Amino acid sequence: MADVRDILELERSPTPEVSKEVILGLRKEAPKKKKEKEGMRRPEGMHRELYALLYSDSNKDLPPLLPSDSGQGYKSVKAKLGMKRVRPWKWMPFTNLARKDNAKVELLSYSDAEYSEHLLCDGWTRIETDTLFELCHRFDLRWPVIHDRWPSHLTTRKMEDLKERYYSVTNILKKVNNLTGPEGKIVNYDADHERRRKQQLLKLWDRTPKQIEEEQQLLCELRKIEARKKEREKKTQDLQKLISADADARKIPKTTKKKIQQTKIAKLDAQPPSLESCTGIKFPDVKSSGVSLRSQRMKLPASVGQKKVKAIEQLLTELNLETNPMAVEEVCQHFNDLRSDLVLMYDLRTILINYVFDLQTLKHQFFAIIIFQVLEIPESLTINPGEESPSRPRAISEMIDAVATPTTPNRKRKAALEQSNVLKKIKART
Amino acid sequence: GLTIVKPLVYGNVARYFGKKREEDGHTHEWTVYVKPYNNEDMSTYVKKIHFKLHESYANQNRVLTKPPYEVTETGWGEFEIVIKIFFHDPNERPVTIYHILKLFQSPPGTTPAAVPNDFKKPLVSEFYEELIFQDPSAMMRQLLTNTRQLTLGEYKHDTDFEEKKEKTLKNLLIAKEKIANEILDLREKIKLAKDTITKFKDEINKSQADVPVDVSGLS
Repeated sequence: MADVRDILELERSPTPEVSKEVILGLRKEAPKKKKEKEGMRRPEGMHRELYALLYSDSNKDLPPLLPSDSGQGYKSVKAKLGMKRVRPWKWMPFTNLARKDNAKVELLSYSDAEYSEHLLCDGWTRIETDTLFELCHRFDLRWPVIHDRWPSHLTTRKMEDLKERYYSVTNILKKVNNLTGPEGKIVNYDADHERRRKQQLLKLWDRTPKQIEEEQQLLCELRKIEARKKEREKKTQDLQKLISADADARKIPKTTKKKIQQTKIAKLDAQPPSLESCTGIKFPDVKSSGVSLRSQRMKLPASVGQKKVKAIEQLLTELNLETNPMAVEEVCQHFNDLRSDLVLMYDLRTILINYVFDLQTLKHQFFAIIIFQVLEIPESLTINPGEESPSRPRAISEMIDAVATPTTPNRKRKAALEQSNVLKKIKART
Repeated sequence: GLTIVKPLVYGNVARYFGKKREEDGHTHEWTVYVKPYNNEDMSTYVKKIHFKLHESYANQNRVLTKPPYEVTETGWGEFEIVIKIFFHDPNERPVTIYHILKLFQSPPGTTPAAVPNDFKKPLVSEFYEELIFQDPSAMMRQLLTNTRQLTLGEYKHDTDFEEKKEKTLKNLLIAKEKIANEILDLREKIKLAKDTITKFKDEINKSQADVPVDVSGLS
């Protein structure tokens, strides 16, 4: 009857012929009678509102959307369970679907005799060693897996212990059998190092964000300190270069000076030819011809920096001198010399301060390495504007408003050296 | 080459009226001047001297062609005067001196000295200067060396420049010696510092070799 209806294109029942009752072999009622209402029917399971969106009574003919195969779609939201009896799980064999071209490791094996002769070890029984080798063979030396599969009835081993044992055994076997070439390569496995390395990694991984930040800050500061140190060194070097460059220039105009001054200056230049053996200010040379004022000869050249100009003024006041003295030739000459010397003194003092600062840094470095001991900076090098020994008259050079440096303890150098010798002896003994 | 030096004195004297003048508020009479240090007639080699006063003065630029090279005025305030000296040799460039007019003993705005101003004795602010002629032309050389005396009588300045010169020189030489000693001292210290640095570095290197650095206990 169904195909007749099909041919005649009469109304068909919306429910499918096949339903779960048919499958289960239960008896089925007669198919439902055909409805009177024509037009599209809301599929079962589809919500009324949703259906109303898609189809309306007034517009029956075409749904706005392409109807999908809604035969089974909205039927029901419940899962269709098979009604068979419950079957328990069963352990079944299976074929490994992996590729056949996996790397396979060739392991050395040992005989009983070899074992008892060479491979005996405290802490490792024969059984354990055999188990280890079997695991290694099975898992192609994949250590994390091997470590995981290590049987619990045997002593618990860390991965490094297993590796250590394995490599020591293979190394001994290789040596014993005098294997050469790539087979005979001795593997240097440093278990200790590995343990420490992994420990360090763990510690690194476990750092709190706060610790990480702290580390970054410290590194940043370190970089800054290094940069400043480099700058200071550069400056000192430049200074020394300048001073040494003027070394010869200064020696020339000596012949015009009076005898007294000559001997004094000769003394200065007779110093050992260190880098700082030279001059302060180079005054511009006299005009070759034309009229000029004496006072112009006493003007400081622009090359003298602001800081130095101020320092010179300060020092002159300390020395009870006018900043612009009477413009006589002799006065002019001496005044220029004096100011040149003042600048030289200023530069030397800067160099000295830098050196003392370096000394203090070194001292602290040393202190950090060897707690007991302290390097002593010689007394005369301490720059200490606050307290002073009353016997020593206040040096003019200390009037210079230089960077303040921290005070240092004063002790003799000999004692420090002795201390270091004693300490070394103690160390050698332990 | 030949160098001829002509010393001179420049500056001003100022005298307080005693009171502030009603009509213009002027309180002082002052004279700015340029005089040769020695008793000679500068006009032999000096063509003219310009004195440029403060703009509030009529005829700001005063020109003098013969001695005495001075300008007398009245006023109430201190300012900078530009003195320009021109020479007969047109090839020689004029020299410029800047002088700050001084009227008050203590700076204006501060309380005056306990001792009241002595009206009879004027205030003097003068300075010594030298004109240096380097390799002058023949004409100039002639003019510079053949100068006439300015006055027949006594010729002296308010300031004892000789004394000032001696004092300054003395102080300068003392200072030079002091500084020279300091420099020696500093050089010694620098050497000591350098040696000590080397020593310290050695100690550090030696001790670093002894102590093995342990990084396993990082935390």
